[in-house]
Amino acid sequence: MLVDRKAPVTSRLYVVEILKGLLITMKNMLFSRNVTIQYPEERRNYSDRLRGLHYIKAVNGVENCTACMLCPTVCPAECIHIEAGERPDKEKFPIKFEIDILRCCFCGMCEEACPKDAIKLSTIYEMSQSKRVVYDKEMLLVQRGNR
Amino acid sequence: MPTCTIDGRQVEFKPGENLVEAAKRAGIEVPVFCYHPGLSVVAQCRMCAVEVQGIKKIQTACSTKAAEGMVVLTQSEPVKKARESVMEFLLINHPLDCPICDQSGECDLQDNSFGHGSAHMRYTEERRTYVDLDMGPVIKKNMNRCIHCTRCIRFGDEIAGIREMVAMQRGNNTEITTLDGRPLETDYAGNYADICPTGSLTLKDFRFKKRAWMVKKTATVCEGCSRGCNIELHWDHATVFRTLPRENASINRYWICDEGRFNYRYIHDEQRVISPVVAKSGAAAPGWPAAVVAAREALRGKRVELLLGSDLTLEEAQLIQKFAGDFFPGARLSHFGTPGIKSTSDDGDADKILKRKSKTSNLHGMEKLGVPGFGALSKETTGILVFRAGRAELPEWGGVAAVGVGVFMEPQAARFAALLPSATFAEKDGTIVNFAGVSQRLVRAVPPPGDCKQISEILMMWANSGRAGGAS
Repeated sequence: MLVDRKAPVTSRLYVVEILKGLLITMKNMLFSRNVTIQYPEERRNYSDRLRGLHYIKAVNGVENCTACMLCPTVCPAECIHIEAGERPDKEKFPIKFEIDILRCCFCGMCEEACPKDAIKLSTIYEMSQSKRVVYDKEMLLVQRGNR
Repeated sequence: MPTCTIDGRQVEFKPGENLVEAAKRAGIEVPVFCYHPGLSVVAQCRMCAVEVQGIKKIQTACSTKAAEGMVVLTQSEPVKKARESVMEFLLINHPLDCPICDQSGECDLQDNSFGHGSAHMRYTEERRTYVDLDMGPVIKKNMNRCIHCTRCIRFGDEIAGIREMVAMQRGNNTEITTLDGRPLETDYAGNYADICPTGSLTLKDFRFKKRAWMVKKTATVCEGCSRGCNIELHWDHATVFRTLPRENASINRYWICDEGRFNYRYIHDEQRVISPVVAKSGAAAPGWPAAVVAAREALRGKRVELLLGSDLTLEEAQLIQKFAGDFFPGARLSHFGTPGIKSTSDDGDADKILKRKSKTSNLHGMEKLGVPGFGALSKETTGILVFRAGRAELPEWGGVAAVGVGVFMEPQAARFAALLPSATFAEKDGTIVNFAGVSQRLVRAVPPPGDCKQISEILMMWANSGRAGGAS
């Protein structure tokens, strides 16, 4: 049942409330620092644990990855595609290592599953592109993040 | 049946059965390495240790026969401790290769280590390593991973009938190898990889292609010969990656031959015809409607004979029989398959293990349907319609007009006026009859590639192409 309740005149005019709100606005405008930053010039400091763009770790020029397929197995987005091969200095290595970055959800499970500390997530978060990109092994090896 | 007690459960067993098998009946798994139901018992891995009440020492379940009233414990403290020690000893020299090992995921050592081993290792000395010699085209050996269960030696000795694998040296230096490092000779070499409980012997064919857990599995029947071995196709994304044997005590036991194992390769052969072909048309891809019309035209007004590969399924053959009655009344049907094998009486064992002389799967089913073997075309015949599923060897037919339906390779395409591609054994369901008269079911694993259609669809298009405007 609807009841028509009469509010007092003072609050019906909203004058006090408007003044209170303006006070808060003025306080923020005059006495607090800016929240926004000038993005491309200024950068925020993110945690080192930020999960950004992947990279493949290499030691002495040899990739750590042995193409064990644990990352594509654990990947919930199914964005990692590996083809394994053999070469004289390494019994098993990835001939093809592709990350379909648009499918990636940056959960970091690949990093967690990796037994060889090969696939890592860097703190790079700027990945916008004008077309769909699939990062290949060469790119992921060069891209070492900002660590 | 006599009964014994395993882990407090009453278990019935066949007289003479060992404790591993008896426990299996009750759903209790006793971990094993050297024991294999198809091979002799050596009891040398000591992993299947169980406690038998009344006997002070721990017994090996594989070499202990179940007896009436026996009380067995498979999970008692001393047993667990013994297994953990066995695992620790086995893992002393086992490399931490799992990420690159093809066996991981289906590895007994992995499973048993996880289930019965300890997570810690006390061994700090250098591990024993070997230099591996090549073992021929089928098997890749990695001796470092070996746990000396000697399953492979016993397989060669008892099943393949060739003593090619031996244990050289003694004690810590024991090395499983072929005599003089020669390549493997047996036609059953793939089974070495199947029975190896570790990644010591793996298939070269499957090497690094997929991890064991990434493939989907379809239980089907081998079409390599009239034995009809039970197999499992492992596939992923419409590609078959390997064939493994499936246990069937009355047909193939635990084994398959290499011919059957690698028979799947032709499914993805680059030369396989996967879209309809019309000779002399000039067009690269005529498409199905035009190809069916061309096939009809090629046989128009001819005296037609139908040749059925004896690798077709019963269902397909029956359908073709009906089709022949409707469209080629009075035409003679005959089956072809292996040169020199005209009827079931020509079929026989090709070796003492599994292989049969007839290299097609359904020779006996064809006979059952009353289709006679192909000898030669009758003189009046001017056109033939050939059905084939992939393995039947094409006979000679001279210069008569031929239309092919089924699985063909590019070099064969030149012999046909029109070719309508169809499905292989992995791409269709159906029934085949093996040499002993056992009907078995082919199960579809992957979709047919390209434009391939099932034979039933093709016959339907053939039947309808006459009806729908102007084609006939």
